[in-house]
Amino acid sequence: MARATLIAVPIGLVIVVPALFLGAVCLVPLEQAPGIQEMLSILPPKLEGYTAQQGLFDLLTNTLFSLFFLMIPLMASAVSASCIFVGEKERSTIETLLLTPLKVRQIFRAKLACCLFLSFVTTAIAFGAFTIVVSVGDIMLGIPFFLNWSWLVIILFLAPGLMVFGAVFMVFEFNRINSRLESFQTIAYVALPFLLLYIAPFTGLFRVNASVLLVVSAIVWLCDLFLWIIDIRTFLPEKFLEQSLED
Amino acid sequence: MDAVTAVQLTKTYGKIQAVDHLNLCVPQGGVFGLLGAKGAGKTTVIRMLCGLTKPTSGECRVLGRSPAEDPAGVHAICGVMLGNAKLYAHLSGQQNLLFFAQAAGMGEKAAARRVSELMKDLELWEVRELPASNYSTGMLQKLSLARALINYPSVLLLDEPTNGLDYEAAHALNTLVSKFAAREDTTVVLCTSKMHYAQSICTEFGILDHGEWLASGDFQTLREMSGCRAHAEFRLCGGQDLEGFQLDGTSVSGLVEHNGWWRAELRDEEEMPGLLRRIVENGCDILEARLVQPTIEDVYKRILEQHPRKAGEQNVYTG
Repeated sequence: MARATLIAVPIGLVIVVPALFLGAVCLVPLEQAPGIQEMLSILPPKLEGYTAQQGLFDLLTNTLFSLFFLMIPLMASAVSASCIFVGEKERSTIETLLLTPLKVRQIFRAKLACCLFLSFVTTAIAFGAFTIVVSVGDIMLGIPFFLNWSWLVIILFLAPGLMVFGAVFMVFEFNRINSRLESFQTIAYVALPFLLLYIAPFTGLFRVNASVLLVVSAIVWLCDLFLWIIDIRTFLPEKFLEQSLED
Repeated sequence: MDAVTAVQLTKTYGKIQAVDHLNLCVPQGGVFGLLGAKGAGKTTVIRMLCGLTKPTSGECRVLGRSPAEDPAGVHAICGVMLGNAKLYAHLSGQQNLLFFAQAAGMGEKAAARRVSELMKDLELWEVRELPASNYSTGMLQKLSLARALINYPSVLLLDEPTNGLDYEAAHALNTLVSKFAAREDTTVVLCTSKMHYAQSICTEFGILDHGEWLASGDFQTLREMSGCRAHAEFRLCGGQDLEGFQLDGTSVSGLVEHNGWWRAELRDEEEMPGLLRRIVENGCDILEARLVQPTIEDVYKRILEQHPRKAGEQNVYTG
């Protein structure tokens, strides 16, 4: 299930969905669509002179597609952490691992490193595929390469921050959850604040730009640090094993 | 140095007292049987000895090392086989053992050598490439034992190793544990509720009930402590009975008949011939007679019955 999730979700989010949107933008006669001129008039100044297709695709690339892309590091690390930590607890193999002459902290670090590595590989491949799809769209519509300051912040700070967040949050929940099904439900709650980050601009309160993303990245990294400290202190056999014994 | 020691070892889960001020001392060498019914606290003791559970109070040591303070150090010298500790189902038996050998710090070649040695000893060599998920319960128990033995442990802690095994598989495992225990420098602590199994393998015993340590020692000591004696059992020729037969002072209990067998507890097994002679003199013909020595199960039951808490209670022994 985890393997399928790690493959299917990125394909859907960064290849299939952007490709469908690209097809729709290219094929649907947007100029005649109601309200499109009003929408173009409120686009950022740098998009002045864009056609409806160009403007809409740029908007999608910088809002919806970036949200889809950010789901990947979060989902990949949380799903891999769910298998690596919760899955081992569910299958009772973690006890066997704890009976080796390895220190608990060594096991914790090795498992976390494994989650982050899997998430990094998934995210890197997903970003490569996403770049190809969006670049094809950019070339077809005759607009500049999509990479801008916002995307740089996403790639360099926010995506790695979310990668770590997915894993450390799952470890934080590790003592409380006993099955992978429960952990998958938890992942959905974790994703909610990030959905809000991209839905909120539609209310007109703020616009997601590089500065906002930088602030969000800093908050995510602070949360990561906080959860890491808690995880190190709570990843103890007597906590997560006794909890299931008492059950 | 003692192999295992525990001083006032206590563990509580909420309101449940799993282990209550246990004092234990297991000398090096031999097999120590920790006996008790299900829920007696045996597994909790093993979990504390291997550092998976921290005691609520008191302390324990394995070859001088504290599992609570240095669990990794204890695991380096101690092999543990727990019912709850499973192996990786998607890996083959051989891959599982290689993984755990390398996790124990063995080099690749040494690990491969040790794995093949153990798999051959445990008759798992033929199925070494099968995924562990395809193994039978007996094979999985053997594989778990191999995993516990992988780093040449000086102390082996076994929790119900024959659980779920048929007679043959249990006997095979028993032989392997005995073989391991025969090495002078090794100690086995075996938790079980199967008394006949414990009797066949253990040199010393400890009896645990509801987390409370009731008695310990070798079989003879426990037998004397409990006051368990040999029994005379005999069958009479058809239709005869011993109604009205008066026992003299040789037996400690009256004659009891069950399924055609008469039974009396003797003060001394030397008194058996005298008892039989008097029955014959009483006009009865003895078809079959036997002297039955008490087993560890009899001793265990007697010790539990003598315990103040047990007075008036039904014995819950399930083994």
